[in-house]
Amino acid sequence: MTAIIPNVIAMKGEFIQATWETIYMTLMSAIVSAVLGLLVGVLLVVTQPGGILEDKLTYSVVDKLVNLLRSIPFIILLAVISPLTKFLIGTTVGTTASLVPLIFGIFPFYARQIQNALLDVDHGVIEAAESMGSSPLEIIFRIYLREGLADILRVSIVTVISLIGLTTMAGAIGSGGLGDVAINIGYARFENDITFTAMIIILVLVFAVQLFGDWVVRRVEHQ
Amino acid sequence: MSETVTNAIELNNISVNFQNHDQEIDAVKNVDLQIKRGDIYGIIGYSGAGKSTLVRVINLLQQPTQGSVIVNNQEILKLKPVELRQARKKVSMIFQHFNLMKSRTVQGNVEYPLLGTKISKADRQAKAEKLLRLVGLSEYAGTYPSQLSGGQKQRVAIARALASDPEILISDEATSALDPKTTKSILELLKQLNRDLDLTIVLITHEMQVIKSICHNVAVMDAGEIIERGPVAKVFTEPQQKLTTDFVETSTNVKEAIERITSTIKISEFKDNQELMYFNFIGNSTKQGVVSEFSQKYGIDVNILFANIDQIDGENVGYMIAVITGDLAVFNAAIQRLSSEGVKTRILTNDVLEGGAA
Repeated sequence: MTAIIPNVIAMKGEFIQATWETIYMTLMSAIVSAVLGLLVGVLLVVTQPGGILEDKLTYSVVDKLVNLLRSIPFIILLAVISPLTKFLIGTTVGTTASLVPLIFGIFPFYARQIQNALLDVDHGVIEAAESMGSSPLEIIFRIYLREGLADILRVSIVTVISLIGLTTMAGAIGSGGLGDVAINIGYARFENDITFTAMIIILVLVFAVQLFGDWVVRRVEHQ
Repeated sequence: MSETVTNAIELNNISVNFQNHDQEIDAVKNVDLQIKRGDIYGIIGYSGAGKSTLVRVINLLQQPTQGSVIVNNQEILKLKPVELRQARKKVSMIFQHFNLMKSRTVQGNVEYPLLGTKISKADRQAKAEKLLRLVGLSEYAGTYPSQLSGGQKQRVAIARALASDPEILISDEATSALDPKTTKSILELLKQLNRDLDLTIVLITHEMQVIKSICHNVAVMDAGEIIERGPVAKVFTEPQQKLTTDFVETSTNVKEAIERITSTIKISEFKDNQELMYFNFIGNSTKQGVVSEFSQKYGIDVNILFANIDQIDGENVGYMIAVITGDLAVFNAAIQRLSSEGVKTRILTNDVLEGGAA
């Protein structure tokens, strides 16, 4: 082992820590983004033309905001958002500080995915619920989020995988995690075994998320 | 009792306009419609006639541009959102594509309208079970809609529609996606619900066959307007409008028969004393031997090419297409006599020669 990946063995402790940092960043930003993304996604679906709470102004403002945030390249967002990060966290470096750009980088993407997932819910079923006297809130919770659950889970998996990708980019501003190790140690010091091992661990994380996600989707789907 | 008490639904001067880009579309134009409690009222028309839009005004899934809507003695347009939702529970709806929730079991679908009400979970389950028994699907309580056939799905939809103890059931092309046999069984079920639960049913369809088998009254819609209405037997036997005649003839196979006959026999080769005739017998006139009378009394040859008999609201209605050969003067006298007995006739020969197949 020492012969194949000498540098990795030498910094085993750092690798374990970096892996936990990546998991921490992914999980924490996923949780916050899930809440924000669901809220915004549902808001888009219900306020859009023909929606159950149609509201042209709200829809067009939120829609444009989501597009705007989605258009900023993440590497630039990391830098641009730093004053806000400083204000919220107190610092702009470190794992926790990276949560702010990660959340702003991923939740608009997730909101859009949620919107698309919910648009796939059969409009006839929504109409049926309205005809049965369901309130907008009941329609959101008992129809949209429930009928759309399998698709919501599917887009959540895609989002978490994208998010793992973003956490590695956050390494550029010293967030810690596997991306940080791969670039700032492996790449900078020409220690290729470190870069390669970081990649392998990330791939394992991605596959684990994908497999777990697929298993959950299979369990909730009844079509 | 006054009018408002016996009418389950009253639509007064309803119009619905859609703004589609720069174009204004009048989906429903100044429609008045009264539907009596306990009635089965059919609305027939081709797609795009505005019937779906019109019935959605009843539970305000469609906001009318003008007019007033009175359902169960409530002025629906004046209700607050909460009151409207309460009112909607008394006006259930079933759809062409069933609109069941695929994430819920059959039982879960039927329980849905009772969620969020004061009814306890046990009562809710018991009620859903009872309704599933009523529609004959008890053994499917735990299955998901995707595993059911079309007819079964519609039965679940009906059970779900009944869960809130509605007084009115709106059926929006509920049998249009089903095969004839299943259609018949669903219509039988609706008829039974109308009888046993005193449910007022408003039914939209594009098939006269459906109207004929269960409706008491019918309205014919075209381009957003009701062009003809009345008791089914009357509209069927004395259609006033071309479109109504069209629907009636399609459902009795007369239209098809005329097309078949005119494409197989050469009318242009008819002799001067020959005519292709359509006869429509109503009620008692079907009991007399029209054909034998023609030939024996008037000496006219009748060669029957098509005949059919229907029963509408207990009345016999017959249709016949025949080539008749005989002296035209005598023939005219015979027709005079027939029409005084309630038999309607139409000479098809000229229609066909002019190129328009009736």
